[in-house]
Amino acid sequence: MKTIHWNKVFAITATKTSAFFGKNCIIMPIFAVGFTLLMRFLYAYVIGDEVGVPGFSNGYALGMGLVMNICMTGIYCPALLLAEEKEKNTLRALMTSSVNSLEFFLGSVIPVFLAAVILNFLLIPISGYSMPASVLPIFALVNILCALISCVIGMLLGIFAKNQVTAGTLLSPVMMIFMLIPMFSMMIEVLEKISEFVFTGVMMDLVIGLAMGQGVSLSGLQLAVMAAELILAVILFMAVYKKNGFEKD
Amino acid sequence: MNKEMIRLSHISKKFGDDLVLKDINVCLQRGEILSFLGPSGAGKTTTIKIITGQLRQTSGEAWILGQDAGSMNEMIYERLGLVTDNSGIYEYLTVYQNLKYFARILKVPEARIREVLEQVGLAEHQKKSAGKLSRGQKQRLVLARAVLHKPEVLFLDEPTSGLDPSTALEIHKMLHQLKEEGMAIFLTTHNMEEAAKMSDHVALLNEGVIVEYGTPEELCLKYNKTKRFRVRLAGGREELLTQSLETAKQIAEWMARDQIETLHSCEPTLERVFLEVTGRELA
Repeated sequence: MKTIHWNKVFAITATKTSAFFGKNCIIMPIFAVGFTLLMRFLYAYVIGDEVGVPGFSNGYALGMGLVMNICMTGIYCPALLLAEEKEKNTLRALMTSSVNSLEFFLGSVIPVFLAAVILNFLLIPISGYSMPASVLPIFALVNILCALISCVIGMLLGIFAKNQVTAGTLLSPVMMIFMLIPMFSMMIEVLEKISEFVFTGVMMDLVIGLAMGQGVSLSGLQLAVMAAELILAVILFMAVYKKNGFEKD
Repeated sequence: MNKEMIRLSHISKKFGDDLVLKDINVCLQRGEILSFLGPSGAGKTTTIKIITGQLRQTSGEAWILGQDAGSMNEMIYERLGLVTDNSGIYEYLTVYQNLKYFARILKVPEARIREVLEQVGLAEHQKKSAGKLSRGQKQRLVLARAVLHKPEVLFLDEPTSGLDPSTALEIHKMLHQLKEEGMAIFLTTHNMEEAAKMSDHVALLNEGVIVEYGTPEELCLKYNKTKRFRVRLAGGREELLTQSLETAKQIAEWMARDQIETLHSCEPTLERVFLEVTGRELA
């Protein structure tokens, strides 16, 4: 186990936070906010009270926004930031300045993870959905787990990206899977089944269940899906890292 | 006091079937500058990567600061500084923020940042975005970052490549000062003037083999087989004389008559030595 020097982690976190607020990254959470607002007003117009449950359209918009944020901020940003470090040759400068891989990983993931988690909470009022306070602990748990899984997947994909352009190419199909499957799960039966086994689908199902007035519940399967995908993402990341380091030559 | 900072013993490196380093043996002492002089592709950067633990040698032993380069951990980098051709800087940060970032990582007081900025001549640009610096200024920023924590060993891979002469001169001055303070400097270059001017010892590297090793003076004198002198006489006449009794008498006579304006020995440059040893040019 590598030793963690928190001065290094915090230094990296501070710089990564600056990078996160750069135009390439900050557009992603802004996009998630914009998308949630768009869905809020679009569904209010299209669905209205058709379902018969007050606030359903807002809840649906929230689900969409959350999935969008998890993918765009949680997956895209860590991958892009890692790719940028490689493209600009700053990763090697860091690694030859006594920073170890674990410190770099933590410093890179912390700001994006926090941003994804905080924004997921902010999307609740943005969507116009009134989430009962009693639900917040379970929502927080799912939120944190989903943000964590997405950040690990983002770092994993970032290993394969030599530069920011290839990061975009690599990320697109992966984001399609994690974003579109839950988004269309209510419309296509096959996707509904698949969505149960995707961590973003768990988040979507939780929020849709709430919006449908079914109360909050997190099944054993849903917990198992998130736990399994987190473990799988970490194992995959470690295996790929062990083989290639952060730079795949 | 001599203290061994780097020792390479019978280092070889293969990439596939391509043997890029063959039986490299050198050592670098504290307060000394050792240059690897050779053309592109000679194995200079590979050597640095092996010593700094970024690459494993195929055979032989590499020691740095008393540790095996193959099994050291990242903490060794707190005692090393690296300037390579692809040392990146954070372009969205200012010059000062770039150094502050690494100062935090390496636990260096902020006062040292200002000191280093003065040394590399970037103090007046400290608030400038690093992305807006000229190539020479970027190179100085990389150097500033490399010496920020006063490393015991500094690696410089072609540090003045592509820089204007005045910037190169400034960097040379700084390196001399660091050397005087006891820093050991491992320099790779294909610039023979730089190697001759800066180095205590030079290793001529060709196709992965050290073909000659010694002080610049030793190497130049070793290959000064036909000793010749270039004389410029009053009136502008130039003579190229080979050492002999007659030449000595002739020079004495010109001196007696106060006819000599300049008198130079014509020992070969390192570039000529390299050409003679390898049959190829440095560039």
